[in-house]
Amino acid sequence: MFRSSSLRLATFYTVAFALAVVVLGVVTVLTTRNALGRQFDGRIRAESASLAQEYRTEGLLGVVQAVRERDRTPGALDFGLRDAAGTAIAGRLAATPAPLGWSILKSRGTDEDVDRTRIYATRLPGGYRLLVGDDTERAEILDGALIKSFTFAFFGVIVLGVVGGYGLSRGVHRRLASITGAAEAIIDGDLSRRVPVHGADDDLDRLAATLNRMLDRIAGLMENLRHVSNDIAHDLRTPLTRLRGRLEAALVRPGLAEHRDLLEGAIVELDALLGAFAALLRIAQIEAGARRAAFHRIGLAEVAATVVEAFAPSAEDAGATLRLEARANPHIEGDPELLTQMLVNLVENALRHAGPHPDIRVVCRTVADAPVLSVIDDGPGVPVAERERLFDRFHRLESSRSTAGSGLGLALVSAVAKLHGAEASLHDARPGLEARIAFSRAAT
Amino acid sequence: MKLLLVEDDSETAAWLKRALNEAGHTVDCAASGRDGLLLAAGETYDVIVLDRMLPQLDGLSILRTIRASKVQTPVLLLTAMGGIDDRVEGLEAGGDDYLVKPFAFAELLARVGALARRPPAQDVRTALKVADLEMNLLTRAVSRGGIRIDLQPREFQLLEYLMRHAGRVVTRTMMLESVWDFHFDPKTNIVETHMSRLRGKLHRDEAPELIHTIRGAGYCLREP
Repeated sequence: MFRSSSLRLATFYTVAFALAVVVLGVVTVLTTRNALGRQFDGRIRAESASLAQEYRTEGLLGVVQAVRERDRTPGALDFGLRDAAGTAIAGRLAATPAPLGWSILKSRGTDEDVDRTRIYATRLPGGYRLLVGDDTERAEILDGALIKSFTFAFFGVIVLGVVGGYGLSRGVHRRLASITGAAEAIIDGDLSRRVPVHGADDDLDRLAATLNRMLDRIAGLMENLRHVSNDIAHDLRTPLTRLRGRLEAALVRPGLAEHRDLLEGAIVELDALLGAFAALLRIAQIEAGARRAAFHRIGLAEVAATVVEAFAPSAEDAGATLRLEARANPHIEGDPELLTQMLVNLVENALRHAGPHPDIRVVCRTVADAPVLSVIDDGPGVPVAERERLFDRFHRLESSRSTAGSGLGLALVSAVAKLHGAEASLHDARPGLEARIAFSRAAT
Repeated sequence: MKLLLVEDDSETAAWLKRALNEAGHTVDCAASGRDGLLLAAGETYDVIVLDRMLPQLDGLSILRTIRASKVQTPVLLLTAMGGIDDRVEGLEAGGDDYLVKPFAFAELLARVGALARRPPAQDVRTALKVADLEMNLLTRAVSRGGIRIDLQPREFQLLEYLMRHAGRVVTRTMMLESVWDFHFDPKTNIVETHMSRLRGKLHRDEAPELIHTIRGAGYCLREP
């Protein structure tokens, strides 16, 4: 969930939007503060000009009257009038010794706050000084309201982003998980599975539809392949059955009795060919995953015990020792017949290629909770460069080309291992070779 | 024995018919699934040999139809090579045994023989006896001429299989399938090895051999 791309995208957008809100807030507050300041200053100047006009038309008395009148009006600006000697004449600001021009007056207000008043002082004819001031509190209240609403917006964006992003990515995650699930089922061999389409006709649905078309195509190709291999099996089977029949009939024909060894040799060769052919078809079918339906719960040590018990007498007669080392008996979901054949192939490989008197151990154990089956011999081993390729079809070591075998044994081992979600590999057993089938922990 | 052979390839059918006749069996041949079904329903046979792949009506459908009409005749299915699930499918459809094509004739003959005289399922025997060889299936005790013989579990199973098929040929693959449950062909001679050990344990200097090797076919346990 936390490694999902949709969640990352949602987080990115949330952070981006939150940053945008912060920037927008700062710009708005600064702009508003600036505009308001100019507006307030304009009002102060206008009042100051109007009082100066009053002085010119009505004289000092007119100004004093006007100042007193405005002092009584609620919401009006603050005013003050001083004479040349600095004596207060009228108005709340009259006692303030402000310089000419703009200045700020700080005064202790009703509570702990410091009231700040912006004052504009002008000189009237006759040495009088006219002060017009405005409490900056009004601008500050507006500032505060703006900052507060942007703070709310900031946290709102974060909460919306987190909640929305979580919900969104959960939805996307669920749909992606259904696609992943379908893909896993197909990998496991269920070629009829399709990716579910939600019907919203969005990008995910289009992706699902495209994947499904691709799967249809793959299924079609697989079906063709199956048909071809079935056809080959069927079309070759009839002539090969006839051929084998003719050879067998020739064996009992009186005049041909002296060629018996030739005929028997031909039958042996034919059977080897048929064996390789059947093994190829079998590997193809295992790789197609068709056998998964036959899976059930089995103990690996029991499979190993059956094989060791069956082969130990033959091994002994051949001067080899074959023994089971069951350090654990992990149970997995599997096909006992195929697992048995897999192990038989490995044991037979060891019997054939591990030298004259090999000591062969079939080891069943768990490594970090994952089941591992190994067939370990003390023979000459296999060069590192060859180990991977030995699992390929028909690949054989140069040194073993002269011995019997089709080169399909390990290919079948690899196919059976893959069918069970396991990995087949060859390792140096120092001395000798270890053929290892490592199952995944999930198989248990 | 009277056999029904359902096989579409005329050359194979002719060869099998001739060889089965030589082995002392009477054979009716059917070249298509329909003919086979008609014969199987009308006549009484000891064993039916049925090819799985037939034109028109395939072997499994015929088998199901035969079994649905309560015909209990043992059926030996001939299946295509390489087919992994063929055996399971064939046995589920009501087949009694299967053989992968192409096969050795001796194998077919041995399996037909084993099927024909298969004891009925309800026949529960507690002891087997061939000449002076005795096997108690309850105590799992084996003796020859009154002298007890110790057998490994697998050797016991092998001997039991041979004794149940006494007088008939059993092939290497038949033993691999029924004794070891191996449905593939190991390259190692595990049957031969077990058989020679079993022979060694059954051997008595003065008494005749009971297990005989049949060249090119398999083994046969029979009274001397």
